[in-house]
Amino acid sequence: MRQCSSSSGLFSGWQQIGERKSKRGCLSKANALPDWPLMAVLVEHMEGQRDYVIHKSIWHLSDNAIKDVYTLYIMFTCWGCLVFGSMKDPYYDSEQYRKDGGDGTGHWVYEKQEDIEESARAELWREELIEEIEQKVGGLRELEEASKK
Amino acid sequence: MAATSLLPKSLSPFLTNPPSFPATHFIKVSFLNPVNHLYCSKRPNIHTLVVHAKKKNPWLDPFDDGDDPDMEYGSLFADGKQEEDPRPPDNPNNPYGFLKFPKGFTVEIASLALKVRGDVRRCCCVVSGGVYENLLFFPVIQLLKDRYPGVLIDVVASPRGKQTYELNKNVRWADAYDPDDHFPEPAEYTDMVGLLKSRYYDMVLSTKLAGLGHGVFLFMTTARDRVSYVYPNVNAAGAGLFLSETFVPDSMNLSDGGYNMYHQMSDWLGRPFRSVPRQPILPLKVSISRKLKEVVEGKYRNAGAEKGKYVVIHGIKSDSKASMQSKGDTDSLLPIHVWAEIANGLRGIKPVFVIPHEKEREDVQEIVGEDASIVFITTPGQLAALINDSVGVIATNTAAIQLANAREKPSIALFCSEEKGKLFVPSAQEKNSVVVSSKTGKLIDIDIQAVKNALPIFDVSFALV
Repeated sequence: MRQCSSSSGLFSGWQQIGERKSKRGCLSKANALPDWPLMAVLVEHMEGQRDYVIHKSIWHLSDNAIKDVYTLYIMFTCWGCLVFGSMKDPYYDSEQYRKDGGDGTGHWVYEKQEDIEESARAELWREELIEEIEQKVGGLRELEEASKK
Repeated sequence: MAATSLLPKSLSPFLTNPPSFPATHFIKVSFLNPVNHLYCSKRPNIHTLVVHAKKKNPWLDPFDDGDDPDMEYGSLFADGKQEEDPRPPDNPNNPYGFLKFPKGFTVEIASLALKVRGDVRRCCCVVSGGVYENLLFFPVIQLLKDRYPGVLIDVVASPRGKQTYELNKNVRWADAYDPDDHFPEPAEYTDMVGLLKSRYYDMVLSTKLAGLGHGVFLFMTTARDRVSYVYPNVNAAGAGLFLSETFVPDSMNLSDGGYNMYHQMSDWLGRPFRSVPRQPILPLKVSISRKLKEVVEGKYRNAGAEKGKYVVIHGIKSDSKASMQSKGDTDSLLPIHVWAEIANGLRGIKPVFVIPHEKEREDVQEIVGEDASIVFITTPGQLAALINDSVGVIATNTAAIQLANAREKPSIALFCSEEKGKLFVPSAQEKNSVVVSSKTGKLIDIDIQAVKNALPIFDVSFALV
């Protein structure tokens, strides 16, 4: 087994292109990662026989897969922006955002107006009752005083 | 004797004469006699004499022949008004812990006993109209509370009318839902039906003139007694099917009845029942909470008035919805220049002008003067608290007059006609109220001099204070 690659050694890619006589018109073509094995094919070589490809290091991505990759990349970026951007946001550290939900009663019902009014009326009823009792007690006291005299 | 009572059906045909049957300790003698049912239907003369002349709706219950005249309510049948506390006595020996009712108490038929006794534990009042109509409904609520001790009374009223129940201690819940709305939002409608149904009312009273639609609405609350006013014309067709008791008002507008606008309903509610005598209807009373008094005290202090040294002036002409007029008297507001003239006659007492909307403030300041005491009040609760701390009230036919009567304050009521005055302030003399009515039938033509002549009633009470 031996490795076949586009270049025989590291840092030799540029020279190779320079040395090669390009028959096509593009002279400015440059390899971005000259010494990076963009395609590596592992073959099993036996004399007098075809080579068996036993490992191929390149990934051929379909359009969909490329889209998925980019979507994930965008999502990750956005998530990162939000999370790491909000890490020092005073709003998210404030009581307004961080406090416990609800009104402390354990259930999340915010329509309390009628309950408040109901309890206010009950309170009113008690007030009146106390007033009535006081009046009666006062009347009784007056009667007692009158009888004592 | 015990053996005969176990086999009633086979024996009863021989016992044609029930009084000869020595069954004094049995409660229901007539129950043993199957012929009796025929007897009661054959004896309508008793019914027509005893029961009020109102015709029963035969569609509601075709098998209802009315009360059994031979029925004897013995010692097992609790007499008189209902008990305040509906809980049966605890049974501490009950092995089931939470089932704390006594032996023989069957939850399943507990409501049947309520029906037989005519008890009402939970009652809902659907009150149509605004503040004035709701305020005049207070005596009915008091009547309910007196007639059915321990009853829980809830109210469904329009958002404005609901504010009135700040002044009523007898009400438990007050829900805002406008019964006068002809096309309620479906979501609100169903929500309210579900809400009322889930509260399991024994009785629903409604002062909205019911047609088929409102009858169905009340029917869907599944209350035992559905009591409502119905239209006095053909629009009432079909409403009787869904209602157990209906009242026909004198006119299309219930508020035309004035102070006693709900007299049919209160007559029916206070009717004598077995050993319970007729329940008298008490005069209108309102109660004001301490909190409310404090808030309003701050308000009139800011306006430059002092407690017990001012007269409330209510009924300034405005297109505001908070003017608290009655639906039965639309001509009941006076423009500010008339009020200014009347207020000129006051000596030593400060007039406090109640405005229903902030936009009126400028007009009042322009005509009366910059130093006029102006209080912005839209709710009946605050108005009542303001009246409570005043010497008296000068008002047109607004809720202020009724509140003054309820708090026993002297008042001068300006009416567009004498008949309206009699309707809305009956027995004015007793209530320390002077009714001044316009001669022409229009409020604007009211005799200001007559109003000024009536002003000394405040001086009397002022001296007393």
